[in-house]
Amino acid sequence: MRLSAVVNGAAVSLDIAPDARLIDVLRNALALTGTKEGCAEGECGACTVVIDGLAINACLMLAAQIQGKSVLTVEGLSRAGETNALQKRFVELGAIQCGFCTPGMLMSATALLARSGTPSDDEVRRALAGNLCRCTGYAAIIEAVAAAADEGGVAT
Amino acid sequence: MATPFKYVGRSYPPPDASSKVSGALVYGSDLRLSGMLYAQLVLSPHAHATVGSIDTSKALSVPGVVGVYSCRNAPSTRYCRYRIVPGQPGCIDDETLFAATVRFVGDRVAAVVASSLEAATTAARLIEVMYTELPPVLSADAALEPGAALVHPGGNLVHEFDHATGALAAMPPGTVTTFTAVRTQMLHHAAIEPHTCLADFDASGKLTIWSPCQSVYGARTVVADLLGLPYNRVRVVKVPTGGSFGGKQEFILEPVTAYLAMQTGRPVSLTLDREECIRATMVRPEQRSVIRSTVRADGVLLDLEIETLLAAGAYASSSPDYAEAMAHKLTRLYRVRRYRHRGRVAYTTAPVAGGMRGWGAPDIATCAEIHMDQIARQLGMDPLDIRLRNLVHPGDIDPVTGHSVGEARVRQCLERGAEAFGWRDRAAVPPGFGRIRKAVGLACGAHKNGMLSDEFPESNTMTLKMNEDGSLDLNASIHEVGAGTVVTLKIIIAEELDVAPEIISAREADSETSPFDFGCFGSRMTYVCGANGRALAAKLRDQLIEAAAELLGVSPGILEAANGRVQRIGGTGPGLSYPQIVQGSRMHHGRDMIVTHTYIGTSNPGSYSVQFAEVEVDVLTGLTRVTQMLTAIDIGRAINREMVEGQCRGAIQAGIGSALCEEVVIDSTGRAGAGGFKSYHLVNAADMPPVTVLLVEHDGDDGPYGAKSVGEIATVPTAAAVVNAVNRALGTFMTTLPLTPERIVAALDETAEFGGRSASCA
Repeated sequence: MRLSAVVNGAAVSLDIAPDARLIDVLRNALALTGTKEGCAEGECGACTVVIDGLAINACLMLAAQIQGKSVLTVEGLSRAGETNALQKRFVELGAIQCGFCTPGMLMSATALLARSGTPSDDEVRRALAGNLCRCTGYAAIIEAVAAAADEGGVAT
Repeated sequence: MATPFKYVGRSYPPPDASSKVSGALVYGSDLRLSGMLYAQLVLSPHAHATVGSIDTSKALSVPGVVGVYSCRNAPSTRYCRYRIVPGQPGCIDDETLFAATVRFVGDRVAAVVASSLEAATTAARLIEVMYTELPPVLSADAALEPGAALVHPGGNLVHEFDHATGALAAMPPGTVTTFTAVRTQMLHHAAIEPHTCLADFDASGKLTIWSPCQSVYGARTVVADLLGLPYNRVRVVKVPTGGSFGGKQEFILEPVTAYLAMQTGRPVSLTLDREECIRATMVRPEQRSVIRSTVRADGVLLDLEIETLLAAGAYASSSPDYAEAMAHKLTRLYRVRRYRHRGRVAYTTAPVAGGMRGWGAPDIATCAEIHMDQIARQLGMDPLDIRLRNLVHPGDIDPVTGHSVGEARVRQCLERGAEAFGWRDRAAVPPGFGRIRKAVGLACGAHKNGMLSDEFPESNTMTLKMNEDGSLDLNASIHEVGAGTVVTLKIIIAEELDVAPEIISAREADSETSPFDFGCFGSRMTYVCGANGRALAAKLRDQLIEAAAELLGVSPGILEAANGRVQRIGGTGPGLSYPQIVQGSRMHHGRDMIVTHTYIGTSNPGSYSVQFAEVEVDVLTGLTRVTQMLTAIDIGRAINREMVEGQCRGAIQAGIGSALCEEVVIDSTGRAGAGGFKSYHLVNAADMPPVTVLLVEHDGDDGPYGAKSVGEIATVPTAAAVVNAVNRALGTFMTTLPLTPERIVAALDETAEFGGRSASCA
């Protein structure tokens, strides 16, 4: 089938299998390998992308479901090679260790900051509850999201 | 805080952090090579069975399938997935590429290689294997019973030991003897990156393996020995690791992926899914330790006797060494007059046990620290006091290893931690009588710094080169697993040479070009490799001073290096910048500024952590919430402060999980219940408590600037601190981990307060 959607601000049109998962189309057909697969059952959140403002597990969604929609992946956060405020705070505040959960964390946080400019600590924790991290103990990630929110969030 | 250091002790992001937030960093499963094939494994559905006929006809007819491999057409050479160096003691060759007798649910039976992952997966489902089932052996106890089915022909007892030190003095009156049996469970490492490997066997006959492993040289040894290749024809390249925690330290996918690449002559990529990672890679071993102690009435430990029974799972792998390591921890922590530790390791038809963060230290600390609380309760002492009475002092000799514990500051950790946590006051508060019971608990832990022992030397070799512009290239077998090793080495070298860390380039390990190193385990990266980084930089600095002296025509003795220059001591005269020295030496004397150094370790002091936990337990549901944690850690020196704290917090996340919710459960047929994170629960952001990190810093040990290990010791006492807090909250004495709601409710039903409540509800 023919899929037409907007991915990271650019219109894409490509042939896909009707049963192709969104994560596979992103990673293979579109070579957007920043989106990671950690569990394939929507539990770890490493594959989180933002679709029309909502944080979604790309492993649980068919690519066909993004027909006509706008998808943002981690590759779409940087502008002209420049990382955004949220990405910068992740780097500066110790939110990065192995980095495998990072794209998903960033995308869940992006969706949160787009709907709530000044989230409470509890809101941040709940927004990230579906993103597992085995390295950091979460504190630095939560702090980075809060710091980015204090600066007015992220324009996406 | 005033610091004599320019770079050491500040906070730095990992050098690849920018590419991690942009999504640009290429992990193993992101690699795509021209002509690359995909592999899919066929895993055993039975815990124990012989493999009969294998019908591959349907699989081979799937379009895109290139080959199907199993015990029918692959070599049956036995190997050990744990071997780093040839001749390594304790390695048992009991595993094959494909099993003719399957020994656990998840054992490798076959592999399909195809031009697409879809074709490989489809074909794998079409392979028909006839099995003849054998009796499963699902626990170490069952394995050692007379008449138990044999997991391997040589018997189920893999290894046993009996280590004793010290002598029993006459017991003074009033001594108390205490028994505790603690069982710790199989755990999944749960790196968010699943296991992955890519291999290519090129036309020249060279095999290249890209792996997020913890030892490129170890992968080389296992693969080259198995496939009969010279060591210089197997190149292992370390690719970014999306977490390991020990899960990628043994060579699970490298041998089979390399074999498939050799057979097909094409690059082959193999990535496991989460279920395969849980069932078919390795787990922290299930073990049970029975501890018997005799203490004087004032709490002084006289005698400690331990019996450990550990389940190796289907293949021996590292379990013999892992069990032995458990016997090398407690005498680094406590002064004991007499210590005896007997251990047995048994094969079972369960997931393969292997190394995991802490290597036996969390396992035995959990047992011992629950036991210490039991002694305290029996003597009516504060858990803090019984530990203070027995903890080692700086300079003590560990009677088991014969090594000094070094500048062991565990007592300071306990005292500072207790004060910051407010232990005395909080421990005196009763847990309450309502539905939510609240209490605090504490535990201590000891670990090591490298692998130095009577049986094993410690060393590391690195090369450092300064270029004409002053930039530096470090060539070392570095394995970054996310714990900041690369940046740690850069900081150490920067401090020693007085240059900015950013001008140092350091690639990760490549067995073709980097000098030998054992790999990233044994808490040896900072203490051993970091010490070599410092020695190496000092050697280069000496070389720069000598070259400058030659260029200036003065004696090197009157020169010193500072601020990226060599000048007269006291700063008089113009001196020469590092680039001027490198350029001048090359142009005038044909000399290169390059040094290689091999560091030989001579010490292995203790690393220590003391942790405090506050918990709230719902006596109706049995649900436990950890509401606060404090960790005081004897770090010696924090090289990268933020990363040290991050390591501590991540270690506590995993430790809470092992105390309360994480377990790879197998049912009566040997099948693991948890096939994913739906049923294997990690502590998430919403449930993670605030964690206070106290760093106890000091000089006196041989690590760079006094630094000691952190990543492993940071998780050692966590589970025990949480379990002790829960038991204090409920007045229970639970010793089987994890403390699930079911176990907690069952334990409460045994108490005087709640006994019979189930009956009254019925």
